[in-house]
Amino acid sequence: MKSLRELQDTFQRGILAGDDAILAEVKDSAKEERKVLFGVYRNAYVARLAEIVGDDYEQLHAYLGDRVFARLVKAYIAANPSDRRSARWFGRHLPAFVRKSETYAKHREIAEIAELEKALADAFDGPDAEPLRIEALAAVAPEAWPSLVFVPHPTASRLTFSTNAADIWSALKSETAPPKPLHLPEPQAILVWRQEFMSRFRPLSPEEAMMWDEAAKGVRFGVLCEMVATFAGEDEAELRAASYLKGWVDMETLAGCQTA
Amino acid sequence: MSSDKPPYLGFGLGLRPQHYQEILDASPAIDWFEIISENYMIEGGQPLHMLDRICERYPVVMHGVSLSIASTAPLDLDYLGALKTLADRVKPKWISDHLCWTGVHGVNLHDLLPIPYTEEALDHVVARVGQVQDFLDRRLTLENVSSYITFGQSEMTEWEFVSEVAKRADCWLLFDVNNVYVSAFNHGFSTDEFLHGVPRDRVVQFHVAGHSHEESHIIDTHDHPVCDEVWDFYRDTVGHFGPVSTMIERDDNIPPLAELVDELDHARAIARAVLGEKRLEAAE
Repeated sequence: MKSLRELQDTFQRGILAGDDAILAEVKDSAKEERKVLFGVYRNAYVARLAEIVGDDYEQLHAYLGDRVFARLVKAYIAANPSDRRSARWFGRHLPAFVRKSETYAKHREIAEIAELEKALADAFDGPDAEPLRIEALAAVAPEAWPSLVFVPHPTASRLTFSTNAADIWSALKSETAPPKPLHLPEPQAILVWRQEFMSRFRPLSPEEAMMWDEAAKGVRFGVLCEMVATFAGEDEAELRAASYLKGWVDMETLAGCQTA
Repeated sequence: MSSDKPPYLGFGLGLRPQHYQEILDASPAIDWFEIISENYMIEGGQPLHMLDRICERYPVVMHGVSLSIASTAPLDLDYLGALKTLADRVKPKWISDHLCWTGVHGVNLHDLLPIPYTEEALDHVVARVGQVQDFLDRRLTLENVSSYITFGQSEMTEWEFVSEVAKRADCWLLFDVNNVYVSAFNHGFSTDEFLHGVPRDRVVQFHVAGHSHEESHIIDTHDHPVCDEVWDFYRDTVGHFGPVSTMIERDDNIPPLAELVDELDHARAIARAVLGEKRLEAAE
């Protein structure tokens, strides 16, 4: 008689690898053969995970269509047995899987749509933090401004796209025909975060992206202004920097500020 | 560790995101809610915010799907830690999971997999329940699962196994009416045998749910309304156990809240008819 450990090992291989050795351990019912009955577990495994990935990547599903998406998900499930207790995390490797896939990697927008959906999902249930309010900034003494550093909201993440994946995603989300996939002449910076309870994203201009990335590293506001001046000219550089900062505060992408 | 029997809560529903706002806006006549623990083992955002609001208004029970109590893999202490953290936040009336395993070798199959009903498995499960109860510092409530296969090596019936786990590990039982019905059909045993084979004083909760009939077998899908046959068995179950906190489970094809409240009223009406208004009220 197999030990419990051996039995569970055989059972699991029966589900994951289609190994029929488990059938020697289980019985036919009065109404059905054991292979069909064990098949309930095999089918449920794939069906459940496919549903989870489908829920996590709705717009990618819409973009690829049922047939191609099902093929992608089937390959993903076969290559990535779930290693977390919560199914919430099962689909987290899909963007990387697509990027490495011979079939899908050449269509770069596919991985980027997946990356955007994953970032939005991560922002949705990421850590809470009180956003930085304009009143808090208004209370900062003028002489303290150059040494101010900013704390990004913990749900904020930055993506860089080589295609118009963000436009494709937006069109699909609003149930309109997506634009044709394009390789952009310059990479597009995207900021993802959660405002109230909604995940959001926004493309950033190259200058704003540079300032965001440096601010996120803890660079002081005085230095950020100098960097903006170097990036696109000294003319009204401080005004440009202040305007980016106001936008971040209005959209609740920051969780605090302090003097360095 | 508290050994007090969990209180009778009346008639509850599974908390589903589709219904958050309606619950908070309309405070529907639902006595309590059951949450899927894993859905709230997250860092923040709307789900935890809504859960906090609902916990302020309703009694809540935590129901897990991946404790994997019967697995031969080591207990996952990170998972147990997260469960305890959530319990500190929710202050649930009890914590339940399933008498099953969900994977080995670091893999989670996201399914409630069957156990061979052997002395070896019994010893293993009883020891693990003890460890989990010590960790959580509270009694665990375990649910009988639906199953589709039986193991050649089983030495006892499912209800004997379930009962022995409850007695030896000193835990509570969640009697899933639909799962008994499904497994009885699939394995050809009588629902009455199961019903009368389980210790009455251990049962603290009922689940009632819908399923999918595949002619030769039934699959526990929780995506349909409760069928007449399961309601009939619920009637027998209530008659046998008396007032026990009852909850309608729906995990897929989630209907509007009003539809589930109607189903819950049906359960309440059955319990009233079987037990009488006075006995039901006395339990509250």
